[in-house]
Amino acid sequence: MGAELGNYKSCVSARSTDKELLKHAQDGGIVTSLFAFALEEGIIDGAIVAANKEFAAKYPSKCMMDNSNFDMIEPWRPIPAIVNTKAELIAAAGTKYNISPNVSLLKEATRSFGLDKIGIVGTPCQMQAVRKAQLYPIGMRDVGASIALAVGIFCMENFPYQSILQLVEDHAAMKLESVKKMEIGKGKFWVYGKRGQVVQLPLKITHKYEQPGCHVCLDYVANLADVSTGSVGSPDGWSTVMVRSKIGDSVWGKAMAAGCFETQPIEKVKPGLELVTKLANEKITKNKKTLEGRATFGVGKALRNPYI
Amino acid sequence: MSKVVEISPTTRHEGHSKLVLKVNDQGIIETGNWCSITPVRGVEKLAVGKTPEQVPKIASRVCGICPIAHCLAATEAMEASIKCEIPNDAKMLRHILQLANRCHSIALHDILILPDFYIPGTETKINPFTAEEPVRSVAKRIQRLREIGQTIGQIAGGDCIHPRNTRIGGMYRNVSEQAKTKMYDLAKEGLTLSHQQAEFMIAVIRNYHNRDFVDVGGMKVPMPKTLGYHNQGYLATHAFYGSTSMDECPSWDINRFKEARPYDWYMGEMEVTLEEPKYPIGGTTKMGTKVNPQMEACTGIPMYDGQPVEVGPRARLVRYKNFDMKGTKGQNIAREMEYQDCFYEMIDCIDALNTSGKVVADYIPNGDGSLGWASNEAPRGTDVHIARVNDWKVQYFSMLVPTTWNFATCSKALEGAPWQLAEVIMRGYDPCVSCATHMIVLDEENKMIAQKLIQ
Ligand SMILES: Cc1cc2nc3c(=O)[nH]c(=O)nc-3n(C[C@H](O)[C@H](O)[C@H](O)COP(=O)(O)OP(=O)(O)OC[C@H]3O[C@@H](n4cnc5c(N)ncnc54)[C@H](O)[C@@H]3O)c2cc1C
Ligand code: SF4
Repeated sequence: MGAELGNYKSCVSARSTDKELLKHAQDGGIVTSLFAFALEEGIIDGAIVAANKEFAAKYPSKCMMDNSNFDMIEPWRPIPAIVNTKAELIAAAGTKYNISPNVSLLKEATRSFGLDKIGIVGTPCQMQAVRKAQLYPIGMRDVGASIALAVGIFCMENFPYQSILQLVEDHAAMKLESVKKMEIGKGKFWVYGKRGQVVQLPLKITHKYEQPGCHVCLDYVANLADVSTGSVGSPDGWSTVMVRSKIGDSVWGKAMAAGCFETQPIEKVKPGLELVTKLANEKITKNKKTLEGRATFGVGKALRNPYI
Repeated sequence: MSKVVEISPTTRHEGHSKLVLKVNDQGIIETGNWCSITPVRGVEKLAVGKTPEQVPKIASRVCGICPIAHCLAATEAMEASIKCEIPNDAKMLRHILQLANRCHSIALHDILILPDFYIPGTETKINPFTAEEPVRSVAKRIQRLREIGQTIGQIAGGDCIHPRNTRIGGMYRNVSEQAKTKMYDLAKEGLTLSHQQAEFMIAVIRNYHNRDFVDVGGMKVPMPKTLGYHNQGYLATHAFYGSTSMDECPSWDINRFKEARPYDWYMGEMEVTLEEPKYPIGGTTKMGTKVNPQMEACTGIPMYDGQPVEVGPRARLVRYKNFDMKGTKGQNIAREMEYQDCFYEMIDCIDALNTSGKVVADYIPNGDGSLGWASNEAPRGTDVHIARVNDWKVQYFSMLVPTTWNFATCSKALEGAPWQLAEVIMRGYDPCVSCATHMIVLDEENKMIAQKLIQ
């Protein structure tokens, strides 16, 4: 291997210098800070993020929703939304461990939302979708050129909403409403309650709840993003950041100059890139096997392989 | 002795059509038949049994230049049938979408007709693709106008080609404040450009029609002062938007409308007896070819008060602004005059739009089979759709599109012109032949027509 981390210009461990923001962010608040900076500087004029029920109640016109689907707005179900202010960004910060179809707003962002310079955050597969829409814009007229900043988040796997419901309400015995934060780290699925409870589930419990589509995914660290970030590799409250493209480099450089982040060289922090590489390797190796298995899935018949 | 010459296919318009012309010894048209030869797609038949939500999206696909008209007319015909009133802000968004589409369509038509014309004061015909001035700046301005029209349409309607935002009962989404500002800025820019563009076009059009002779493929053709004149009436239902059967005073009357079969209207079988290899580009149809407009024409002939009528920009200006310039010149000038009006009206609509307003009706009935119709003033004229919706299923659907109205009228307008200018007259109507050719033919004779083309 060796290509597991994709192409990047620089890699650091970083966190936002905005203390207030850090209270709401998942890790180092990289995504939220970077978008807030880009909005302020006019680099983007709106960002597509994964908001939630409370956000949708407060800013209904910012979400992609059909009136008939109000039942679908449940606690901890991510709702793609377009945000234009730091307050809205903060309201949508934090990881929701289930599927958020952020790309579904990509075209609409350039339509009824009137954006010219879109910021979008997403998992590696969503970064792939963004790039594919730019290169092969099928039904995506005028979208490609409007994408100004794509921020990728590391992703080992994702879950359908029903899985999260079951993991939290059955396995962790907590009501979803009372959950403050969820996190996957140190080999455990962590659920933090608003009243201070902490429940940790071993990852082997979560495996059967994973989204099956994630088992053919060969990207861990959002190789196609302008900037990718994740928790792995850096200490708690810090993020690992990879600056990849020219755009990413320019925005990151400006944000650094403006004092948005404090950083440490990735080589100086523990566990550092070694662990990121190891996990990326594990993901890719495991999923490649799954893909190979699809070739001989039936008797004399294969399942489709989207990579060929 | 009359001779028969055929121009097939005709060019620089949307779709597939031809001109079959009976001319005298001087090459002056005695009888002209302009026929669609676009294969019939049968949208009206396949609509039956589908939901009222689907059908406008299908009808939109009749044409990619004016999908807005079909989408809106079909949606509003359904709404008229089920008697659903839509909220005011949804109306505003539809108006903006409609006007934006008209601006883009006018600009596109400029590109199509410019090659007929001359740079005023010269013998140089305009090639819109040349890199030379003054044409280059004009072409750039046209492209910018189209871009503005399409972008505004995209914001208000979800997409400029086949709008996604429209739905039965209003629109799926209102736009953001940011989007409203963007539309406003674009419309302001468009207004300035459209003033310049209309001025330029009108000068060029006047210059062309004031000439004594024009050049067509090296032939020196006399320019009649009455090019494209006809004595048919005009039909328009609104200066900008349209009307529906739900209006207090609808501006279209279904009882005055009747459709004739092409069989009753067009010439029968003939043989081509005049051929002109110099006609640009590639010459006219070979001598000895059999032609039969009655059997080949793929549209019905809609009549209003028993006569074919003209629809389009001139019809609107005649009806609502006392415009009185006739012929092809009048038609082309009228179209240019709509440019600025569109942007003024669009700016008013954008101003009036409340971005936090409701855009979907609270209650959307399922329909009881009542007849409803809606007209939409498409770039090319009155586009009337008629529908019956029962229990959320389309029972009946019919489209009377602008170019269908104009086919027979334009055929009349060909009379008295040199045959080499027949296409110039036709382009004055900004034909949209795909639009015109959407129906399936019902009665026995006409069934053969459809079959013949499908073979
Ligand atoms: C399904 C999933 C799996 C992950 N797996 C890993 C992993 O294995 N290793 C690792 O290091 N990091 C993983 N992450 C990333 C990590 O959880 C943080 O999202 C990341 O470090 C960014 O933190 P931050 O403080 O910079 O972001 P914040 O400032 O908190 O912002 C996070 C942004 O992500 C958006 N977001 C939240 N949930 C989703 C979602 N489901 N889909 C798309 N966007 C979303 C939010 O809207 C917000 O804008 C995963 C994230 C997700 C969503
Ligand atoms: S594992 Fe891959 S496919 Fe699944 S959510 Fe993460 S990036 Fe997407």
